[in-house]
Amino acid sequence: MGRAVIAVDRIAGAFVAIALIASIAPRGASAQSFLGFRALGVPVEAVGGRATSLGNLGIGLPLVAVSPTDPAASARLLAPTITVSMQPSWSDFAMGDQNGTSRTTGFPFIAIGYPVNGTGGTATVSVAGHMEQRWAGERTENIRLGGVDVPVNDRFETNGGTSVARLGYAQPFGERIALGVSVGTYVGRLNQVFDRNLDSLTVGDDVQPYSEEYLWDYSGYTLAAGIALDPHDLVHIAGALEWSGDLTESPRGETVGAEKSYGIPLRLSAGATGRLTQRLLINTSFVYQDWAGVDGYASGVLSANKMSYGVGLEWRAIQQESRSFPLRLGYRSGAPPFRFDAEDPAESVWTAGLGLNLVELDGLPIGWVDLAVERGSRTSLPLDENFWRGTISIGISQF
Amino acid sequence: MIARTATRPLRSPATGGAARRTGPRLLLLPLCALLAACQEVLPTAEGDDLVRAGVAIEVTLPATDFVDRVRVYGGYGRTSELGGGFIAHRFGAGAGPDGTDDPGLEAATLLRFGRYPAVVTVPDTAGTSRPDSSLTFLSGRIIARFDTIGSVRAGPVAVQAHALTEPWDAVSATWEHAVDTLLQSVPWSSPGGGAVEYLGEFVWDPAEGDSLVIMVDSARVAAWADSTDTGRGVRLTTRVPGVRLQLRSSLMWIETIPSLNPDTLIQVLAGTENTTFIYSPQPTPPRDGMRVGGAPAWRSVLDLGVPGTLNGPPALCAELQCPVAITEDHVSYAALRLTTHAERAAFAPSDTISMDLRMVTVPEILPKSPLGPSLAGLAGVVLAPEWFAPPAGEIVEVPVTTLVRDLLRGETADGDPVTGTVALLSAFEPLSIEYVSFRGLGAGAGRGAPELRLILNFARGS
Repeated sequence: MGRAVIAVDRIAGAFVAIALIASIAPRGASAQSFLGFRALGVPVEAVGGRATSLGNLGIGLPLVAVSPTDPAASARLLAPTITVSMQPSWSDFAMGDQNGTSRTTGFPFIAIGYPVNGTGGTATVSVAGHMEQRWAGERTENIRLGGVDVPVNDRFETNGGTSVARLGYAQPFGERIALGVSVGTYVGRLNQVFDRNLDSLTVGDDVQPYSEEYLWDYSGYTLAAGIALDPHDLVHIAGALEWSGDLTESPRGETVGAEKSYGIPLRLSAGATGRLTQRLLINTSFVYQDWAGVDGYASGVLSANKMSYGVGLEWRAIQQESRSFPLRLGYRSGAPPFRFDAEDPAESVWTAGLGLNLVELDGLPIGWVDLAVERGSRTSLPLDENFWRGTISIGISQF
Repeated sequence: MIARTATRPLRSPATGGAARRTGPRLLLLPLCALLAACQEVLPTAEGDDLVRAGVAIEVTLPATDFVDRVRVYGGYGRTSELGGGFIAHRFGAGAGPDGTDDPGLEAATLLRFGRYPAVVTVPDTAGTSRPDSSLTFLSGRIIARFDTIGSVRAGPVAVQAHALTEPWDAVSATWEHAVDTLLQSVPWSSPGGGAVEYLGEFVWDPAEGDSLVIMVDSARVAAWADSTDTGRGVRLTTRVPGVRLQLRSSLMWIETIPSLNPDTLIQVLAGTENTTFIYSPQPTPPRDGMRVGGAPAWRSVLDLGVPGTLNGPPALCAELQCPVAITEDHVSYAALRLTTHAERAAFAPSDTISMDLRMVTVPEILPKSPLGPSLAGLAGVVLAPEWFAPPAGEIVEVPVTTLVRDLLRGETADGDPVTGTVALLSAFEPLSIEYVSFRGLGAGAGRGAPELRLILNFARGS
């Protein structure tokens, strides 16, 4: 009877997981912005709810987890673990005398870690958002046709982005050092649609809209390595570097166009967490990435800003034997790589969140939910964007 | 930090079971959220930088670039299908468009009334209503209703009524033949209705109404009671030159005396069994040009070949590198531009005519090929009569966007086959004795030959 229940639970769990992965694949991550509309778009923070609510940039958090941006984080995984994150967001923007709103829901990442028997290490696989382009432009004008001014409405819609599929391995060395490596491939698609509607009152009832679709695929490779150190029982430090080859944009299907290559700069990241009291943690993280030095972009697109940082506090408000409920607060300052116009963009985000570690074993969460909410702004004059964003992360071990 | 133990993982029955039970439930949370937040709104702003450059070009192709052949077919439908009639005398007479003397249109309407009522319910001398099958028919009155707008005559018109005497077929009768079917052809003894018996002359004044009353004496009413007599009927004509009247409907009221109450006069209705009209001369097919309408109807069939690449005009090549390949997606608007032509005044339209365009689905069996659905919409292309009065030369646009896109695609949007052969025809066939004409290929480019107007769109840049 007990085995039957367990079998049913496993089947149900597998079914739900498959449904989640199937639903995630086409939806990409959640970031809607006009930033980078002449390049690759706006970066996607591929971190879970805990990191998001701490303003963390995806590295340097204690406790074992599967993180696409922290290769060594999963070295001490006890059991097979899956982590998935989703983000609904609501944005508004102002651009000169224009303003508007947007909303979307996406999935920054999904990651699975599986301890390897005999080696003590953990193999990981993850799919994480990288860049996203989701916006639409419109134009209304008069064009001269047959000696008559014809009102025309154009719309250009861009929807898509890039993600990174990674395969990694993390190995602990003793109790205080762990190393991790990963190889990844850039994947992604970009769909662009140009629609033109001519005024039927001027041209004729039979006028039909003109629509042309452009489909692009992305490809490329990335390698990453990271280290995690616990020099003291109260301190955790991690660092990672990620090298990428050129990101290639290729026409797909009947789309006519030249293949383009975009350089991706080396990404250096580091983070640290210190335990201030039994229940209070402080965390900080940094990312350095010099986009100004890479090739493949139009002139004037790349930002000179290189450094992003984040800082946050975690307080375990409730700590029980097999569960805990931490509260989190943080701030993050980002450096989006692509300008809207002539000014370097800046991102500023205040974060807060709640953790629900529903099942803990020896202090390690087995099943958890992390909730985060962000209030942020991005500025690259004349563009000014504000957003509310929620993050829900689910993690399960021993599934 | 926490180090992994050698014996991993520790699974107590309680916690392990709880995790297994919790897992699927936790995973349901984002699934529910996904379903609840699936509506997406993209940020949208106006700006030239945000939109690809679009190029819109208007191109007018001469007939030589897209028309392979034009054919005109006549004989679709019959005059009897019109449900009305025409009365005309020397209508449109005078110098024809080719300089010859045109005698004008002669037209007569033929009517045949149906079986008289056999039983009528009447009050008897005691005032009780009872059926009476012993009726004595007296005189009759034919009420003819004319179309006051479709009739070309300003003032009163004298209409002659004659009784037909020769057997005639209401479906196939023509000016020359009383019967004109595939298997039998019987000419009138004299064109225009054969031997007839004069019933009288009656004046219709449009200012007083749309109806003309024709009195019929009791002997004639009695003679027409024999419904097996295929020679019975009335012919309506006029001797007023330059007149063309359009008859919409007719009926005959008959006065009868019931046997149950001989002091009472009752009027009963004899419905019209057949209405048709015969006319002369029959129009001949045009040597060059296109014709649409008439009764029997004319159709003009065009073999189209829309080019897939363009080498001009210069404005197109200036914007895009010629030759420019065009697909169905590039065509936002396409229209046939036809130039009106004034033909014989006898058949010139006096009212608007609605023209349709349909694909000829099996061109090999023309003129009997079935046609595809209308490409001109429900109302068709409405043509004003003044466009076809001398000197004509008006440009009429027939939208063909869907057709041109289908031709460039090689099939319809639904995947059905297409042909480049299309027929111009009146929206309803036959619609009227009137027809409209357009200049043909012989008119030459820029002088009235058909043209194809295209509005093409392209996007460029990124």
